[in-house]
Amino acid sequence: MTTSPLLRLESVDKVFQMGEVAVRALNDVSLEIREGEFLVMVGPSGSGKSTILNIVGGLDTATEGRVFFRDREMTSFTAAELTRYRRDTVGFVFQFYNLVPNLSARENVMVSTEISDDPLDVDEALEMVGLEERLDHFPAQMSGGEQQRVAIARALAKNPDLLLCDEPTGALDVATGKLVLRLLVDLKTRLGKTVVLITHNSAIAQVADRVIRLRSGQVVEVAENPEPLPPEEVTW
Amino acid sequence: MKILDHKLRRELWANGWLLLAILCIIVVGVACFVSMGSSYNNLTEAKARYYRQCRMADFSIELKKVPEADLRPVAELPGVAEIRPRIQFFSTVDLDAVSEPLNALVLSMPDRHERVLNDVVVQRGGYFTERRENEVIVNDAFAEANNLAPGDWVRLVLNNRSQELYIVGTAISSEFVYMLAPGTIVPDPEHFGVFFLKQSYAEDVFDFDGAANQVLGRLVPDAPWTTREILDRAEQLLGDFGVFTTIPLADQASNKYLSQEIGGLRSFAVFMPMIFLAVAALVLNVLLTRLAEQQRTVVGTLKALGYSDGQVFAHFLKFGLAVGLTGGLAGCALGYVLAELMTMMYQTIFEFPELRNRFYPGLMAAAVSISLACAVVGSLRGTRAVLRLKPAKAMRPKPPKRGGKILLERVTILWNRLSVGWRMVFRSVVRSRLRSLAGIFAAAMGAAVLASGFMMIEATYYLIDFQFRWLLKSDVDLTFSDERGRDALLEAANLPGVRLAEPVLNVACTFENGHFRHKGAVTGLQAGATLTVPRDTQARPIRVPLVGLAMSGKLAEMLHLEAGDMVTMHPTKGLRHPQQVPVVEISDSYMGTAVYTDIDYLSRLVGEEFALTGVQLQMETDPGERDAFNRQLKRLPGVRGVANRQSMVKSIEDTIILSMNVFIFVLVGFAGVIFFGSILNSSLVSLAERQREVATLRVLGYGPWQIGSLLFRESLVLTAAGTALGMPLGYLLTVAMSMSYDSELLRFPVVSSATTWVMTAVLAVLFTVLAYLFVQLAIHRMNWLEALQAKE
Ligand SMILES: Nc1ncnc2c1ncn2[C@@H]1O[C@H](COP(=O)(O)OP(=O)(O)OP(=O)(O)O)[C@@H](O)[C@H]1O
Ligand SMILES: [Mg+2]
Repeated sequence: MTTSPLLRLESVDKVFQMGEVAVRALNDVSLEIREGEFLVMVGPSGSGKSTILNIVGGLDTATEGRVFFRDREMTSFTAAELTRYRRDTVGFVFQFYNLVPNLSARENVMVSTEISDDPLDVDEALEMVGLEERLDHFPAQMSGGEQQRVAIARALAKNPDLLLCDEPTGALDVATGKLVLRLLVDLKTRLGKTVVLITHNSAIAQVADRVIRLRSGQVVEVAENPEPLPPEEVTW
Repeated sequence: MKILDHKLRRELWANGWLLLAILCIIVVGVACFVSMGSSYNNLTEAKARYYRQCRMADFSIELKKVPEADLRPVAELPGVAEIRPRIQFFSTVDLDAVSEPLNALVLSMPDRHERVLNDVVVQRGGYFTERRENEVIVNDAFAEANNLAPGDWVRLVLNNRSQELYIVGTAISSEFVYMLAPGTIVPDPEHFGVFFLKQSYAEDVFDFDGAANQVLGRLVPDAPWTTREILDRAEQLLGDFGVFTTIPLADQASNKYLSQEIGGLRSFAVFMPMIFLAVAALVLNVLLTRLAEQQRTVVGTLKALGYSDGQVFAHFLKFGLAVGLTGGLAGCALGYVLAELMTMMYQTIFEFPELRNRFYPGLMAAAVSISLACAVVGSLRGTRAVLRLKPAKAMRPKPPKRGGKILLERVTILWNRLSVGWRMVFRSVVRSRLRSLAGIFAAAMGAAVLASGFMMIEATYYLIDFQFRWLLKSDVDLTFSDERGRDALLEAANLPGVRLAEPVLNVACTFENGHFRHKGAVTGLQAGATLTVPRDTQARPIRVPLVGLAMSGKLAEMLHLEAGDMVTMHPTKGLRHPQQVPVVEISDSYMGTAVYTDIDYLSRLVGEEFALTGVQLQMETDPGERDAFNRQLKRLPGVRGVANRQSMVKSIEDTIILSMNVFIFVLVGFAGVIFFGSILNSSLVSLAERQREVATLRVLGYGPWQIGSLLFRESLVLTAAGTALGMPLGYLLTVAMSMSYDSELLRFPVVSSATTWVMTAVLAVLFTVLAYLFVQLAIHRMNWLEALQAKE
């Protein structure tokens, strides 16, 4: 396992201005994401997990501080560069799936393969998440877990280096959650992807190579986990 | 982008009703553009071709009598390419099959066919032969209307003698594309005909050896002087021969009506589509704003997946483009069909050798581009707002609109009296500002179209009433070919069935005020005349001055005169001394530039004791006597024109009622599409935006009709506001139209009566109800349980 950082956050602040009120979602956050690791960020609801992931994924920008992708400073990316970054480097799995409602499972995956240079085969990606039977179903016809798996297939299919998963098991029962985790762990071990997963569920941290704990927009602990558990053995 | 196209297709499909509403508006707008544009091209081309074919004269000069030799200086004027002397007389025709005498215009044509100015195009039979001298070519429409054919004989009164003429052929001429008898506003081919006589025969029968009383002329393309200047010079040169009037092509009656129609088409081809496409763009804007809003998360997700702004934008733009393209193409097809119909209609109004509807690829391309442009403009705003969001933000639900108090709520006395339902209606109207503005704008346009249309209709009826019921009250007007004395009045009064006869003296003259000059005529009426009653702008009778003139407002305006001013009059009759006369009254009229005065006063001005050129008759109602009257009238010498007011009014009303009915139909249809389309759209969008709210209301126990009533009231508020704005707009539009149609020949009054406003309001409400019925259907079909469970 290499240890060179893929991404680095330096003293990042994020402030949401809502009319008169300013909400400080991130307060002086510094951390790094290493190439090929399985990183889990844990923290209670509202601690700023999604906000970090959005910044890392190029979906949002930091108010203060600097973000580096490899050696390039992301904080100075142009809109076009950000788009390219999202397109080529990142696979995003959303907390609420965010499938396009009037496209079928296969079409939802094709939405991402069509813009990528080196995509996986669409059906293969869906097979990897175990949905080869549901290719032509629309989101409304699928359960939450199935939708989540389509979302993962969609992220995978672009064949990105970095997979960002926002609470991918949050809406799932334990059994399905474990299936999804297994999938993500396999992506790391078999395809060598970097996986960042965020959750408010500390138990899940046991599968990680490294765990970052957050509270109130701040990093409170960074811990190495030399012996990650296989997902099947985790209980919550 | 193939996959996104699937999404697009499904969305287009899912929004079917909404799109249909927008499409209707675009299709009608584009169809307007294409049909009017095509008709404009058709008429313009037919006119140019016809004028070339007949070598249409650029001017004509009408005078008493001039030897052809004396026309040389006119022919040699710089800018004049060619002249043609012609003999022209008004007269009457006596057809055995028709009891009354009919009116005729007699014109001379070369004995052998030459391509002279104002040539004819033979339709049936042929041109003159050498067999008879008294051959005649009759204008085709008259022959048709009276069942005349080559080989028949007709009896014309020529130079006070009844002459039998042999019809060799029927013809049409570019001079008479729109053929009007003097004093009327619609063609009446049954009662008015043009008769072309051999030049030699005309000279003979009218004692016009080598002379003419009309000069037609053609100008070189780059004449050094304007037509007006050339005509003024010509008039000076011909001063000794009694010039009645000089008419540039622009003022030639047929050409004027034709050009006015063509000009009208051109402005409407721009104006009407503009209204429709503006409404369509706004409505599309509303729809796409909502669509993009609804798809915030999708937009955010696509951007998170790495789609660029441009790609997402293009995706939404395609939605608009699909609408624009479909609307444009369908509009072109409909427009082509409408142009076909309009051309058929024009074929009945105008007489062309060839008037066909053609396919204009350039026009169609322009129509489709305009439609696309409008759709793109309509798509821009809504899409842009969502695109500007960062993906992280776009994926979060939109923060709720600020729910502050609306202005009306501050008027607590009123607000507290409103039911909860009305409060919801007003809040919704105020909060979704863009949608409300679009609704109000559309309603205003619809109401303006309706109001101005109804006003035009009222103006037309008012004009007919004014000219042919209030101003002219006689049953029959006789015009004599020469000036006559009192005996003619007595003779006319003694015709069977005549209850009352009043004399009229018409004197052609030139009015002059400083450097303002105008050719016209003065009509002398007897003191206390009851058969011609000049009126002021309020249609109140004016007393005809015993000394001085009652001048029509239009002429006074052209001469920059006001009541009380003096004007110089150069009569072309009698002694022809210039006279200084006062303008005593300003009268109103919508046709021509009439000037009235006392007949004795006018007689003296032209150096006579008493003269008349015509008689106005009021008839007994007994129809039996009418036949006797007509029989005697046919034998009465020296009559050059007979105007039968009843048949004239009837033919005007028949023609106008028909075209008015078509006009109303089209108008109401247009306005209906605007109202219906925009209301349907804004209600359906409102319904879609408030699915949650509707679902909640349903859970609370509201029925579909109660929910429908909320939306209906909302539409009604918008319609009411829009209509209230549209009505004055329609009024202004009518004023503008009346100003643009203002000519010496014909003017349109601005009449606004309660009918206009009531009809506009009633129709506006009717269309609102109609659109609401569709909305109600959508409410009944809505799956509100699903809406309640949907996340967001
Ligand atoms: N667009 C926004 N506007 C205003 N406040 C925001 C916005 N996004 C996040 N916040 C605030 O920032 C803080 C951190 O939010 P974030 O979504 O990162 O939390 P989270 O750790 O992902 O929580 P959860 O586990 O509930 O998803 C919260 O207090 C949230 O209310
Ligand atoms: Mg979160």
